[in-house]
Amino acid sequence: MADSTRNTKIDLIVVAVLWIVATAITYWWLSTTSFQPMGASTSAEISDDSFDLLLKLSVPVTTFVLIVIGYSVIRFRAAPDDTDDSAPVRSNRLFVGLWIAITAVLAVYVIINPGFTGLAALADGRDAEMTIEVTAQQWNWTYRYVEEDLEIARAEELVLPMDVPIVFVITSKDVIHSFWIPAFRIKMDAVPGLESRTYTTATELGDFGGDDGFRVQCAELCGTGHSNMSTTVSVLSQADFDAWVEFEKSEGEHG
Amino acid sequence: MSIVKGIIGAIIGYVVGAALVTAIRAATGADPWDLEVATMGAYLPMLGGWLLGVGVWGYWARPWFGKDAKTYTFTGWKRFFNFDTDHKVIGIQYLVTFLFIFFLAGLFAMIMRYELMNPGLDVLTASSYNGFMSLHGTMMVFVAVAATIGAFGNYVVPLMIGADDMAFPKLNALSYWIVPMVVVFLTASFLLGGYDTGWTGYAPLSVMTRTGALFFNLAFVTLGLSSIVGAINIVTTVATMRAPGLSWFRLPIFVWAIYISSWMVLIFTQFIALAMMMVALDRTVGTVFFDAGEGGAPLLYQHLFWFYSHPAVYIMILPGFGIMLEVLAHFSRKPLFAYKYAVGGMLTIAFMSAIVWAHHMFTSGMPQVLLRPFMASTELISIPTGLIMLSAIGTIWQGRLRLRVPMLFALGLLFNFLFGGITGVFLADVPADIQLQDTYFVVAHFHYVILGGGIFALFAGIYYWFPKMTGRTMNELLGKVHFWWMMIGFNLTFMPMFWLGLNGMNRRIADYVPSLGGTNRMISIAGFLLGTSFVVFLWNFIYSWWRGPVAPANPWGATTLEWQVSSPPPHENFDTQPVIVGDPYGYGDPSVRHTVLEPTP
Repeated sequence: MADSTRNTKIDLIVVAVLWIVATAITYWWLSTTSFQPMGASTSAEISDDSFDLLLKLSVPVTTFVLIVIGYSVIRFRAAPDDTDDSAPVRSNRLFVGLWIAITAVLAVYVIINPGFTGLAALADGRDAEMTIEVTAQQWNWTYRYVEEDLEIARAEELVLPMDVPIVFVITSKDVIHSFWIPAFRIKMDAVPGLESRTYTTATELGDFGGDDGFRVQCAELCGTGHSNMSTTVSVLSQADFDAWVEFEKSEGEHG
Repeated sequence: MSIVKGIIGAIIGYVVGAALVTAIRAATGADPWDLEVATMGAYLPMLGGWLLGVGVWGYWARPWFGKDAKTYTFTGWKRFFNFDTDHKVIGIQYLVTFLFIFFLAGLFAMIMRYELMNPGLDVLTASSYNGFMSLHGTMMVFVAVAATIGAFGNYVVPLMIGADDMAFPKLNALSYWIVPMVVVFLTASFLLGGYDTGWTGYAPLSVMTRTGALFFNLAFVTLGLSSIVGAINIVTTVATMRAPGLSWFRLPIFVWAIYISSWMVLIFTQFIALAMMMVALDRTVGTVFFDAGEGGAPLLYQHLFWFYSHPAVYIMILPGFGIMLEVLAHFSRKPLFAYKYAVGGMLTIAFMSAIVWAHHMFTSGMPQVLLRPFMASTELISIPTGLIMLSAIGTIWQGRLRLRVPMLFALGLLFNFLFGGITGVFLADVPADIQLQDTYFVVAHFHYVILGGGIFALFAGIYYWFPKMTGRTMNELLGKVHFWWMMIGFNLTFMPMFWLGLNGMNRRIADYVPSLGGTNRMISIAGFLLGTSFVVFLWNFIYSWWRGPVAPANPWGATTLEWQVSSPPPHENFDTQPVIVGDPYGYGDPSVRHTVLEPTP
């Protein structure tokens, strides 16, 4: 008995040390690496913060299970000629209790933060100064700038001013599409018969040539042309944007 | 012969049904011939004709009309091609049929990965890519839903509970013989140009797209029928046919898993059939359930679809958990850790699975008020799922691990499911999900759960029960080669997809932005590695069945009942009624015995 107690202690200490080391190495690795592509809007910041927090919380859970699996496979592997059974341990109140308590606390915690806090942050950005009506159809996009009274049908590019809070009012003429701008972390389905809204403010100048996250991409399967149902996105300064609007309007009058 | 009669019955059924519909249309002045309307009318007569021909009439229905039932005389391999009511035959029928579908759908995945090696379109058109993608998804979902329950639920559960067969043997044969019609409908869909809606078949696209979509609807309804019939049987069998002394908490965990998933099949499958039928009716008779312009509601489809399809994810994975825990206990030579918590976890998952469906719809435009409750319920379902992990790692801890092939697959499942489960927490979080929804992050996540979890379990089950089912032994070395090849190929294929999704690659596209080309090429090569691993399996499976060394009754030294009879078991399973006297995992404790049945030498 004394022998097996000592072994248990050693096993637990080794696993704890390995767990701490693995967790520390993973945190160090994450601090030097970014999985996120370029983010260029207020909504991108909120979405990325949520993702990063979840990533941080998931590290110790993942390393714990991996270390236990790895340690068990190496340490508790039976010799080929072994015919013995293990000690009949059926449960362990302390371990089961801790496990349930920790997983429950983690689950409730992520509901509140980043879940509810992220949603609240997204809701804060809803005082739009500019309305753009987005109409999807197989397989192109139409953008209407409501305040500017400008419509770009079958658009090739979505042009936006920087630092202006925008609401996109999204609908579809035929099947369901989804309005997604990867660099802005906004995505909202375009559903026939519904007007769905999504809000964002561009915080960086940029265009598709600089980063291919600057594009509108249909993210809901909509038939044959789905893969290529996209337009580029260009974020301009307010002055450049105004000039662009004037130009497009005069084009419309003359064309 | 039965199959030929079945085909004749199906053809007669189709012709009669279609002719009737066409005649009615002609009589009412409508354009008489319409393939879709005729097929809708012919659906039931065709299915009925097939089933009557294939054996329902001869072995079942004749006495209803005062005639003698035909005597069933087939033996040997011919049983597998006839209306056999032995659960052991039906289990093997399910296994082989769904393995065939699995490999075909895997081939489609290879074609897709070949197309995705480079940006732009190379070998496929955008349209044919959508067709292969949709069929791959549909067939794999069918495999994940039905393979493990059909094969091992049928073969192993009656043995494990000490029953001589299922509660309703004829119904059991019926549930299997419905499946070939699923294959017929999917093939018809393929021949008619396929469908481009993915397995999710979202309306209104599924209402507006080509004729293949209707056959997809009918295939899904037909599989649903088979599943429900099978589930009734399993639920009844486990509830009423357990051996004396086999109380609920003496059940092997695999029986619990199959029992609980069968309840879920029974409760939820009707909703997918409903959604599919509503689309089919929109297509054929002009109901406008999903036509917004006429007062229909496109989002209604998604609610109905996910009200089944999210529980379906647990229908796919619970039997996998069952196999994993079963194998971990027997190959660690240790009682299953925290058994009651594992059972409680599965029951809680089953209940909670009914209230998480709208997490698939965070960006669908559904009312904002639904975001918080569905986010909360989805994050909370990680707690009972965690209990399964607890039971698994508690079981291997300080065990005496035999790293045989089934054990390797069970440990592989544990590893893979960890990543599948953790990334589910990300997807349940609305702010993060806005970016991740409909991207390769989701593709990676569900492949980690369904392929890395469910399908790894299927293979663990095959390696574990193969000696019992065939009476022969699979080659251990080839099994290990298959495991490592598949495990490495799987992780190299799907791990980078998390990154791909985060970096702007959306699902279900044949073409993508050029910056993602390098990662996609690497994934495709890893995908081919994964695909070729099954060549090793197939060789081992076929050759061992044909020429493998004869298997003893209990090659693994396991305690549960199915190993206490010969391999394969006699027709009635047990010569004498087994009596259960203890729990099934009495390792390390000579005072605990599961059964008083003496093992057959």
